[in-house]
Amino acid sequence: MRRVSWALVFIFVVVGITLAQSDGVKKKRPLPPDYGKVIINNYSEAAGLSAVVFDHWLHRAKFTCRLCHVDVGFAMKAGATGIKATDNMNGYYCGACHNGKMISEDRVVFDSCSKRTGQDTRMCERCHSSGKNVKKDYEFSKFTDKFPKGRFGNGIDWEKTEAEGLVKPVDFLQGISIKRPSLTIQKDFALGSKQEGMPDIIFSHKKHTIWSGCELCHPEIFVGVKRGSTKYSMVEIFEGRYCGVCHSTVAFPLIDCQRCHIKPVS
Amino acid sequence: MPYKTGFIKTVVLWGILLSGVPASSEQEFWDLPPLPEASEYGNVLIDRISLKNRIKPVAFSHWTHRQKYTCRVCHFELEFNMKVNTTEITEAANKEGRYCGTGGCHDGKTAFGHDKPYCEKCHNGDRSYGKEKFSELRNFPKSNFGNGINWVKALEKGLITPVNYLTIKPSDEISYDKGFSLEAEWRGIPVAVFSHRPHIKWLDCNNCHPDIFNIKKKTTKHFEMTRMLNGEFCGVCHMTVAFPLNDCKRCHPGMRE
Repeated sequence: MRRVSWALVFIFVVVGITLAQSDGVKKKRPLPPDYGKVIINNYSEAAGLSAVVFDHWLHRAKFTCRLCHVDVGFAMKAGATGIKATDNMNGYYCGACHNGKMISEDRVVFDSCSKRTGQDTRMCERCHSSGKNVKKDYEFSKFTDKFPKGRFGNGIDWEKTEAEGLVKPVDFLQGISIKRPSLTIQKDFALGSKQEGMPDIIFSHKKHTIWSGCELCHPEIFVGVKRGSTKYSMVEIFEGRYCGVCHSTVAFPLIDCQRCHIKPVS
Repeated sequence: MPYKTGFIKTVVLWGILLSGVPASSEQEFWDLPPLPEASEYGNVLIDRISLKNRIKPVAFSHWTHRQKYTCRVCHFELEFNMKVNTTEITEAANKEGRYCGTGGCHDGKTAFGHDKPYCEKCHNGDRSYGKEKFSELRNFPKSNFGNGINWVKALEKGLITPVNYLTIKPSDEISYDKGFSLEAEWRGIPVAVFSHRPHIKWLDCNNCHPDIFNIKKKTTKHFEMTRMLNGEFCGVCHMTVAFPLNDCKRCHPGMRE
């Protein structure tokens, strides 16, 4: 009997130690320039190149989320698009803009993965830069210097930045986007909290549609035909679903509780 | 004999607790890490780049700061991480008015700034720096471990009035005072009682949620005492700054002395 119990203790200790890789600790937050940074490595390293480093902060300052994630068709999860060099050469994905022809803010957008870039590795390294010390054209702190500050994420209040006209994200891509008459923007509404004492969420369509249009969220993330038809919980959001699709990766993160939970408790 | 395992665990556990001389393997399992002196509990030496630059590490005292500011101010508003040396504090950042140098803190007005004569007030490499001031707290309500001070009571009695925000005012609407009891993993251990109320006086929701604890009961994985001793879950704070886990009864009120 005694032997059994010591054996049990031993097993518990071993299991205890092996399981002791941390949950239950505070996650280290990325630095402001690194928030929303995506490393894409579907085929890069296999092809002898560094993985691609994609900065959301730079792109979102120039284009809406909708443009890339709806019109151009990028998936919402890093690596899920499976971008190939030939796709870019053929004008899909990155190549939809990075084609050496498009003009954005008086600059020609450099072309990605073209035969021309292939001869100059420095051209490849503009994107294939993971682990390399590549000097980029836009430097975060300089670029965002005048933007209103926010907490967490990029340390920028993007909503305000747009409202003050400091960024004017483009929502139409010649040859790819198709203009449709826009729908009436729905009114703000409250999402009831399930916990007593927890303020309700005020959701604003208006704030979202500037960046997301309708199609980024509906119908895949939220069915959206009728309020209440998509059932979700904060736990699922924390797992990266529903609001958490964007609000833990690119848009202000979920630890900013009171940015959504703002309706006074009645 | 599966029906007996719970019983065996209980017997073994109490055996270990009562014997007082646990074998080495249990020592890892149950022994609490040694506590520093009361005046040094919660003091941290910050050396991310100091020594590399031939400057003494920074001695930071939680008990000094928590008298004046709640945890929330630094660990939420000022974005200090919860683990020493993981926040990229630099002299430049401080001088720009971030981290320690934030306006209303060590900005040269409210508290000493970052000019020459003050370097050694932080960069002294001495974990017990400022010890002499600790005796000023001798009339504070007592507790058995940590700083030997019951900070919750000190706050309730108004002996300290820490500022709860600098620029980001917490919502008055969050009056979250839900408490609950947590079943112990081991049979024979009385339940732990958790209350949000004393916590939200110091903390913001996001200090604990969702990184450390999920928000739904029983969905936090591996939430176990052994993990806490390892500095996870409650142990993130209650092994470092808040009263340490040695104070069993404070959470498990049914525990015998």
